[in-house]
Amino acid sequence: MYIPNFIIPDLLLLLFPFIVIGSRLFCTDRSKVPWRIANIGFIAIFVLLNFIPLSGGVGRFFITNWHIDDFGVLMREVLMVSAILGIWLAKDYFEHGGDGKPAMHQIAEFIGTVAFATFGGFTVVSACDLLTFFLGLEIATIPMYALAAWNKRDQYGSEAATKYILMGSVATAFELFGFSYLYGFAGSIHFDSIQHAVASGSSPLLWIAVLFLFAGIGFKLTLFPFYTWAPDVYEGAPTPVTAILSVTSKATAIAFLVVLVYGPLSPIKEQVAPFIALLAGTTLFVGNLGALKQSRLRRFMAYSSIAQAGYIMVALLGDAVMGKTAIIYYLFVYAISNYLAFFIFGIIGHHREETFDSLRGLSKQKPTLAIALAVAMFSLAGIPPLAGFFGKFHLFFSGASTGHYGIVAFAVLNNVLALYYYLQLIKSAWIDDTDEHLNPLRMTKRQRNVIVLLTVAVIVLGVLPFLSDNIFAGFTF
Amino acid sequence: MDTLLFNLIWILPLITVLACAPISAQKETLLKTIHATSGTIVLLLVGYLTYRLYTLGVDSAAKESAPLLLHYYMDIPWLHMFNAHYIVGADGLNMFLLFLTAVIVWGGILVSWNIKGNQKVFFALIQLLATSVYGVFMSMDLVLFFVFYEMEALCMYLMIAGYGSGRKDYGGKKLTLTLAFGSSMILATLFGLYFESGIYSFSLVELSKVTLPMDFQMWAFPLMFMGFAVSSSLFPFHFWSPDGHSAAPTAVSMLAAGVMMKMGAYGCLRVAMFLMPEAAKIWLPYVVALLIFNVVLGPFIALRHKDLKYITAYSSISHLGLIFLGLAALTPVGLRGASLQMISHGFLTGLFFATIGMIYERTHTRDITEMGGIMRKLPFLGVGFVIAGFAGLGLPGFSGFIAESNIFIGAFQQDSTLTRIVTVLAILSITTTAVYILQTANRMLHGNMPAKYETLTDATFREKLVVVVLVLCLLLIGVFPGWIADMLDQSIAPMMRW
Repeated sequence: MYIPNFIIPDLLLLLFPFIVIGSRLFCTDRSKVPWRIANIGFIAIFVLLNFIPLSGGVGRFFITNWHIDDFGVLMREVLMVSAILGIWLAKDYFEHGGDGKPAMHQIAEFIGTVAFATFGGFTVVSACDLLTFFLGLEIATIPMYALAAWNKRDQYGSEAATKYILMGSVATAFELFGFSYLYGFAGSIHFDSIQHAVASGSSPLLWIAVLFLFAGIGFKLTLFPFYTWAPDVYEGAPTPVTAILSVTSKATAIAFLVVLVYGPLSPIKEQVAPFIALLAGTTLFVGNLGALKQSRLRRFMAYSSIAQAGYIMVALLGDAVMGKTAIIYYLFVYAISNYLAFFIFGIIGHHREETFDSLRGLSKQKPTLAIALAVAMFSLAGIPPLAGFFGKFHLFFSGASTGHYGIVAFAVLNNVLALYYYLQLIKSAWIDDTDEHLNPLRMTKRQRNVIVLLTVAVIVLGVLPFLSDNIFAGFTF
Repeated sequence: MDTLLFNLIWILPLITVLACAPISAQKETLLKTIHATSGTIVLLLVGYLTYRLYTLGVDSAAKESAPLLLHYYMDIPWLHMFNAHYIVGADGLNMFLLFLTAVIVWGGILVSWNIKGNQKVFFALIQLLATSVYGVFMSMDLVLFFVFYEMEALCMYLMIAGYGSGRKDYGGKKLTLTLAFGSSMILATLFGLYFESGIYSFSLVELSKVTLPMDFQMWAFPLMFMGFAVSSSLFPFHFWSPDGHSAAPTAVSMLAAGVMMKMGAYGCLRVAMFLMPEAAKIWLPYVVALLIFNVVLGPFIALRHKDLKYITAYSSISHLGLIFLGLAALTPVGLRGASLQMISHGFLTGLFFATIGMIYERTHTRDITEMGGIMRKLPFLGVGFVIAGFAGLGLPGFSGFIAESNIFIGAFQQDSTLTRIVTVLAILSITTTAVYILQTANRMLHGNMPAKYETLTDATFREKLVVVVLVLCLLLIGVFPGWIADMLDQSIAPMMRW
């Protein structure tokens, strides 16, 4: 059987959970070997992905169910970045013990679960028909349920996981319903045939399908009005899981929308656009409003990431090249900024309560952390010259390119609201007086290195054009 | 060579920050010396480049920058997706604003010598702020411009909230969020400029060559003009300025009032009015109506305040109103007056806030009712404050007179009753200005001195240096306005498109 080398990274990722979990048979409970294997493997996959030439071509395999295009390759890279950073964050968590005692023996299973979730994202961007598409989304989601409930003894974690699985199942049902109507409308599960059918005529059946698809993915992307589960789940889940949830899960969901909007539904994109704009506007407004009065770090990040989902939606209004470039670039930037924040919150949360007050005096005790925190927050707020600004610029640019100035102006004005709450956080870390009762913070050399690396990345990736130019060049070959 | 030196203006402050990063925060004197040296070098550099620009004349301006007459022009592709370029250049207007910035930054570093708190971070923030302001006045590409423009508000917040006095967090947030509101309005219109122009470019020079669709101009111009006007505290967006200035440390007040508020007026002229002249002609009469608050009511509010910084803030609001009056006149004389006022008011308000900061450092109060007779103990600072006041009310011999007379003549030339009425009101309001300045100087400097001020000492050499340089700049423009006005005229001429 002919196996094109494009598919090697996918196969490797599929193999990896088994290798990592299997390696547990041969090492002790406290061994770091599984983590090291995963680390090398994930980085190797990321590097391999970079060797796939972006040529604008499409490769199809396995009875035309699986294809790899530019968007797929770039999306895979985003997901791998998230997975690598996720397991780096997880190492701190398991080494020090999130629920009181070290649990390094669990890391192999954890990595396996993350790998499966990532593979789900791979499947979503590679699917050529509704079945594979749905399968990918489920492969990406079900490991997330397990991850959210990782801390078995923590009642908040269990509550969060229960909430998540209930909401997620309803969302899955919505999607499946939408898929069935789409199939009923087009008479085929293949994207090409669906696109053909959509182009040749519309019917109420199609609109019901679209409505349900957006509702279903709205749950996963935390769009208004389906975002309510996010704050509880983000707060209840362990820190690395919250980070993975906010990046991998969101990236998968937005990839799902990109595939749909620029694929099968592209003939009716103009009609769907007001709907997308409405979802984007309400979501970012609600997310920003919700974040204003939060005092707990992870709840705050949940609302912040709801708002970010709204901003990403703005880019979907643009045409294929601009929209995809903007979304990929923004996801890279968002992943790095978000993980930077979670690395910092992980260190804080290990020693202190995860509230704004725990940040008091940070600039005096740990200047490195305080600077990194300021960079991460300003990047998420979209302040130049940090990467977050250029990311948002891409998103708004894409939205404006098709003349949707109204929603772009609304999103830009909302940024002022966002700036307020990010400033609150900066104020706690930089301005407020030190609180003597707080426990001292300790940072290992490795944590420090990672934080410095990510901080530099956030500063440099925006100003230096190589990342955005390469992504853009990939789509306009 | 000159072009490379020109780029150094914004790079040098950044290099200084990086160079100081490894130095321990305990070595305060070393850090301050490095920053002061860097500030001086940039000042000399800008001074040299201004002189070069004067001697070169308009004939040697870069050909590719037409219709603008830019020197030190440089164009490097930057972000391909938006066709954004790194384009810098300067004509007379930019160069003088850069010179103003360099003087104020240099003065700001010197007056902050004894600031309390982490000095390493404070001086790094001043340099970052300087970078962003230099960048705004240098960049001729709108993306680059916006990046620098928005950077500055953040440094402001950290400096005000971290090192200010009074309601510092409130003042800082108010300032930063209002400015961010303004820049978000600008950002929204930038996208419109890019797509509606049909040439898909952010370059100011390229955009000025096309005529933008009228229906686009009609909504984009007010949005962009008001977005810029927010940072120049045009009514109704003036409310951030008194609270922000009064909470800020001396150097930040100087920079905010002296330079940052000019960035708004500069943006109004260079971006909004230059690119959308047709809409400017229609909308600017409404701006004149808004101005009545700034120029007429501003001085009256200043009259009622007891806090020195509030008085100066409202005085700035009224002076910036005059800049807008000059812009709205749409005549060469009016625009020349507006540009002169930007530069003149920068030095003037820098001097105001510098002397106020120095007095506050000694008396620990800014309430003029608690002060009295300090002229006896602080003659130098007292005279400095009085000179700033006289320049502010437009005494001939100082720059304020030249600028304001140009604005009034230019505005009166315009054939519109409203503008003429506002001009007359503005001229009358100088009387109010005189009242509050003389009243403040009188209460603060003369009369009975409270016993606690017996131990006050006058300005140190460092402080005297700052005051003297600022006064010299005011006098220089006031006594020899010709060559500056010529250079401003040359750079304004290509922008007269209505």
